[in-house]
Amino acid sequence: MLDILVSQVANGLVLGFVYVLIAVGLSITFGLLGVINFAHGAFFALGAYFAWQMYHWFGWSAVVLAPPLVGLVGMVVEATIIRRLYGKEPLLSLIVTFALALLIEALIRLVWGADGKPFNPPPVLAGIVEFGPLLITKYRVAVLGATVATLLGLWAFLAWTPYGRILRAGSRDPEMVALLGINLSRVLTAVFGLGCALAAIAGVLAAPLWTVSPSMSANAVMPAFVVVAIGGLGSFLGAVVAGLAVGVVTSVTIQFWPEAAAASMYALMFAIMLLRPRGLFGERWERFE
Amino acid sequence: MTEIQRRNRAILRLLAALAAVPAVGGSSAASAEDAGPIRIGLIYTKQGPGAAIGEYLQRGSALAVEQAGGKVLGRPIELVWLDEPNPQVSQQNMQRLIDENKVVAVVGGNYSSSALAMMSVANREKIPLILTGAAAREITGKDCSRYTFRTQATVPVQIAGLMPYVSQLGKKIYFITPSYAFGQDILRSARSQLPSIAATEAGVDEVPVNTADYSSYILKIRQAKPDAVIGGLVGGDFSNFLKQWNEMGMKGKVPYAAVAVTDTDFWDVGPQASTGIFIKPWYYDNPQNTAAEKKMTEDFAKKYGQPPSDKTWSGWIGMRALLESIEAAKSTKAQDIVTALEKWKNAEGKFPFYFREWDHQMVRPAVIVQVKAQISDKWNYFDFLKNTSDTLADTEKAFGTKEEIGCSMPAL
Repeated sequence: MLDILVSQVANGLVLGFVYVLIAVGLSITFGLLGVINFAHGAFFALGAYFAWQMYHWFGWSAVVLAPPLVGLVGMVVEATIIRRLYGKEPLLSLIVTFALALLIEALIRLVWGADGKPFNPPPVLAGIVEFGPLLITKYRVAVLGATVATLLGLWAFLAWTPYGRILRAGSRDPEMVALLGINLSRVLTAVFGLGCALAAIAGVLAAPLWTVSPSMSANAVMPAFVVVAIGGLGSFLGAVVAGLAVGVVTSVTIQFWPEAAAASMYALMFAIMLLRPRGLFGERWERFE
Repeated sequence: MTEIQRRNRAILRLLAALAAVPAVGGSSAASAEDAGPIRIGLIYTKQGPGAAIGEYLQRGSALAVEQAGGKVLGRPIELVWLDEPNPQVSQQNMQRLIDENKVVAVVGGNYSSSALAMMSVANREKIPLILTGAAAREITGKDCSRYTFRTQATVPVQIAGLMPYVSQLGKKIYFITPSYAFGQDILRSARSQLPSIAATEAGVDEVPVNTADYSSYILKIRQAKPDAVIGGLVGGDFSNFLKQWNEMGMKGKVPYAAVAVTDTDFWDVGPQASTGIFIKPWYYDNPQNTAAEKKMTEDFAKKYGQPPSDKTWSGWIGMRALLESIEAAKSTKAQDIVTALEKWKNAEGKFPFYFREWDHQMVRPAVIVQVKAQISDKWNYFDFLKNTSDTLADTEKAFGTKEEIGCSMPAL
């Protein structure tokens, strides 16, 4: 029994890292812009589709172009639509980005068709690795490595670079940052683009695991919201801890009570919300009070 | 008469006049409809994981209309297509088609849960409904309705066709099914037939719909060490499963068999991840296809540049049955269409198929196919093995007796 449990916990942690990557972009967009981006899952799907297209045009190495391209799309969306939502009611951003999600899904269907696109892990990452009771595929090990590297890079960028300091300062007190002569408008565009690019990285990594179809965003957006709610809106560390917790809880529930697997993450969210409505690592933010 | 009495009478006259308006409007609209187009409703999924399936069903129905010259009873046909995203909205859309679009009949319903919800409206409003995808037994069983017809073979029939192949794979069977009416029907049917092949149950997972990651389920299957897995996952869920089954090295190690799959499930994941033995209503590369089916395949390929999926066939045969029945009835009245559908028969194949009068189930064998060892064509993934039955007598027997089905068909 212990073997089974260890195996499922390890599998849940790997799954959790995929959730973390999906959720962290959403958390950053909310934390720095105050916008609840319901279209985050659509950018995730767009990342998978761009990766599929790049692979078919130029081969595996071109897949890395997908996230920056989606980031650019995100910046255009910010400049034309999202910036009108700053300072407005959160409900408005939810409605507008929900419409945006439907629009992007419809555009994907229009460009690539309603059928899914076959997309498997690269041959070099095919196969499984076994350590005692643990079984993990080589591709999932690569996903784990890529996710950890992305998260560390993002943390270093936000914590140690001048640009990261501007982002963090701008998210807490935009007026003061503007008074210092910094063009906050460009900064906010870049932040939204970064959030979308992170969703796209998750989409690229998930494409060989999940079916690349126009509706794949639905598989991403709900876990992402649950992870962000559990971790605390805007909290980077919270997204990491909550993503891993959701992955493990889901896996263990599948082992012992499979019918409840879909509900388990919501039950976890419900329990955390009751005990700590701000989420595990949610802080008091003046601008949202 | 007092002032108050006079005012009350005036209000009553006004209310009576208002109440008369819909009746007058209704009768003039009805007479206008007699000369205008005949509207037929379609309820197929437009969004979410079932969108591709919905598109193939819709294309099949539209192709049947095109092949009929776009007319029935000499009047143009107008198709109105609404969505089938979940049972509640499918039911509302059924009502909308009847109330707002004034359809004479509806073709659609891919999911058993939506189909059951749509049936209640069809029954209440007395509008013929031809279900083209739903397979749960109660649709033509205990919940059967005079106004509902179904093209897909029931789950017990499909499982009975699959079991002889499963028995060749081994004796320990693991089940992975979706947790709704269709999946529960697979479990019930397969469990009841396990003793007949001297097999035992190695484990069961009822999986919530729209599950993206199956790695934990696959780990469980691996731990259980079954000889074979019987599945019933649908659409995008099944595609996700196949992809991860291959990724986790299970393809080729534990055989997989399932019912009611569709071609898009495999086209979506590609040859690398496709594996197994399956029951499908139809396959475009079946040498036993009729001339009309071959013509449909040709017309579809000409129009869309690819072969049709089995869902295209389901949408096509459902619409064909409806149009031929309207022609036979020489009427668009619901009761006349229902009576004609009960007498409808297709005699183009080796033996005829039809909607059985006492439960409205289409009595027709399904096909058993196996994923090719080497897939070289972008669309052709299967080898046709055989039909679930080879004679009319065997087919009728496979679909069960009145007592086994349990349908008490109400009067018109």
